[in-house]
Amino acid sequence: MTFEGVPGLVETREALGETTLVVDPPRLVEACTHLRDEHGFDMLVDLAATDYLGWGSPGVSGYIGTAAGRNLNRPMTQGFQALPAPKPKRFAVNYHLLAVRQGAPRVRVQAWLEDGEPVPSVISVWPAADWFEREAWDLMGIPIQGHPNLERLIMDEDWEGHPLRKDYPLGGEPVRFSGEE
Amino acid sequence: MAVARPPAKQDPIYEGTRIPSPVPTVLAVDPAIRGTDDLLTVNFGPNHPSTHGVLRLVVDLDGEIVVGINAKVGYVHTGFEKNMEQKSWWKAITYAPRIDYLAYQNNELVFVLAIEKLLGLEIPAKATWMRMLLSELNRIHSHLVWLGTAALELGAISMFWYTFREREMVLDLSELVAGYRMHTRYFQTGGLAEDIPPGFYPECRKFVEWMPKAISDYDGLLAKNEIWEERTRGLGLLNRADAIALGQTGPVLRASGVDWDLRRDDPYCFYDRVHFDVPVLTHGDTYDRYRVRVEEMRASVEIIDQCLDRLERMDGDPWISDDRKVVLPPREELHTSMESLIHHFKIVTEGYRVPEGEVYVAVESPRGELGCYVVSDGGARPWRVKFRAPSFAALEATATTVQKQYIADLIAIVGSLDTVMGEVDR
Amino acid sequence: MAVERPKSPSRLADFGLKSERVLWPDKGPSEFEQELGDIEQQLGLTTLEKAIAWSQTKSMWPDTFGLACCAIEMMSIVSSRYDIARFGMEAFRSSPRQADLLIISGRVAQKMAAPIQQIYDQMLEPKWVIAMGACASSGGMFNNYAVLQSVDKIIPVDVYVPGCPPRPEGLMEGIIRLHERVQSGIPAAYEIGGVAK
Repeated sequence: MTFEGVPGLVETREALGETTLVVDPPRLVEACTHLRDEHGFDMLVDLAATDYLGWGSPGVSGYIGTAAGRNLNRPMTQGFQALPAPKPKRFAVNYHLLAVRQGAPRVRVQAWLEDGEPVPSVISVWPAADWFEREAWDLMGIPIQGHPNLERLIMDEDWEGHPLRKDYPLGGEPVRFSGEE
Repeated sequence: MAVARPPAKQDPIYEGTRIPSPVPTVLAVDPAIRGTDDLLTVNFGPNHPSTHGVLRLVVDLDGEIVVGINAKVGYVHTGFEKNMEQKSWWKAITYAPRIDYLAYQNNELVFVLAIEKLLGLEIPAKATWMRMLLSELNRIHSHLVWLGTAALELGAISMFWYTFREREMVLDLSELVAGYRMHTRYFQTGGLAEDIPPGFYPECRKFVEWMPKAISDYDGLLAKNEIWEERTRGLGLLNRADAIALGQTGPVLRASGVDWDLRRDDPYCFYDRVHFDVPVLTHGDTYDRYRVRVEEMRASVEIIDQCLDRLERMDGDPWISDDRKVVLPPREELHTSMESLIHHFKIVTEGYRVPEGEVYVAVESPRGELGCYVVSDGGARPWRVKFRAPSFAALEATATTVQKQYIADLIAIVGSLDTVMGEVDR
Repeated sequence: MAVERPKSPSRLADFGLKSERVLWPDKGPSEFEQELGDIEQQLGLTTLEKAIAWSQTKSMWPDTFGLACCAIEMMSIVSSRYDIARFGMEAFRSSPRQADLLIISGRVAQKMAAPIQQIYDQMLEPKWVIAMGACASSGGMFNNYAVLQSVDKIIPVDVYVPGCPPRPEGLMEGIIRLHERVQSGIPAAYEIGGVAK
């Protein structure tokens, strides 16, 4: 299956048996409509937003190997710091699509955004996107343009902040040990 | 053998689409009725008896007919995804089963499969067969609890005790294998945490012999019961196109006539090596969803039987991968090998590292497609974990299915969607 | 430390804590029982109060309050193997007005704290609370922004049952301990002290 005709396509990546189409955010609805009508991806399975703030900061020791696997016979290479490849912008919104037909073709549509940059709503393409987009707004702070009911879904209505962002603290309480008072 | 059969020719469940607009998940009150005295707004608060967890429904009633509904969730939001980002890969597996707490084994399975896909790790066959067996046992467990509580809500109270009797048998098996009834944390990256204890296979065989009779008992109680049929037939209609547009999967989709099961159509583990039936019904109502789940229990028993056939011949086979960079070495080796000691230390303290990448893995949980999207930065902790919960999508279908139904049927319909709030809110 | 404990025939210690006697028939009174007996004496319980306490424990109806995984194990104590009907508690009331016991089973999200407070306030006294599981007792494995670190921050708790989730027998043990606590005359948690800070 080739994806050259998808409007707004910036890049196609293949990894681990999965295809990722990087799409320009303003043309997202066109691209999704094209994928649904021409390629038959009739089900939006998931909408996952990721925050890449702090990606690749030093201190994360790289994994010794490639995504294709590891060569167990390779001599020990401890000490090498392989940093992960840098990301273009801070947020990525991933749309996982499925075609309900033989072979179960799946594709991931990815749109990259900066903080505050909106992404258009795909609710007109797949109604299932409704709650997924509300959750992306609530937990990650991704503004969805054109969503008819963009309210907080998971957190309280008057909650401040977007919890799943990397600069939002984990919260909780320090654990008290009985030895120290 | 994954041929998706086209659905048989049948009358459409309803014409066109019933998805409300502009907001698909909110049934808005018709402006003609709004403001009249007949309209009553009722809050099915987070704590209610026919609860499938803490779901809040704000329902507008015109007399006894539902004319408006808005589901509010988030009352058991636990911050799983943020917590899992702070723990090493090993420890994050412990969080996974508590997300969908009825199908806990499937949650562990999907997360572990995602990690293994990123690692490119080979799993021994024995571990895969055992994972399949436990996932199918878990499917039976989940459907038993669903059946017991769904019948309880509609007044068929005695079903609860019958289904929970079999549920205790399933949990006994779970305890025999992993030492714990629920949230066993038995699946480990690379295979299983421990070998399968002796004495498990005969017990499981006994269960496999007993279970079909128990399912016939349940059928005897409910399947042709006039009251049950009155309360479930023709309610909560969802046709094929609406179901796919709303992202439904699992029994809800199969009851609407779509022949789709990830175990057969997008196989994982060794599901392509076992024979099982996928029940598909065409009326798209509550009765069909009930029937699909009961038939799925029968199919799961078949799968467990076939897994047992394979496993009984695999005594003595390894149960976990021997890749020492990811899996702990066996304890006997720690006494003699320096490298094993160092690897044990590194894996326990820092954790193993998973190569950079992003992956989406989906399994067929009792509720539908349970997916796990994992992003790794090459380090010892996940960067992002997102679980695609089938109940999340199922709740989006409430507005479509309860249109113009009586309030008493609202309970039956929401129950038939089989939602677990733990995975909706995560 | 040897302390002279006066023997009176109607102390709880003489009837023995049922949960321990099942496994160990000849066991003498434990520290717990002796302390309960001391409290009984200090509070000076009368026979009528003891009768009232006894009857309160024999049909203490729980509220249908299941939050998460612990709720499934709570449902299984109603099932025939762990039969809670032997204690007269199979009547789970949906209305908090009719319930005596609130078993907080599962993790308490911040959003759920207000409904729990409302439900607890609607219950009529005497009322007891069991915090079932690690999440209700202390926040469990979720030490984060979303989970209330122990339900005793908002309501007073009588018995904490550990486990994740606790076995049905574990919850039964908690319920039996609660019964013994009530029978010995210890007041419910809202009378003794407020909520944890």
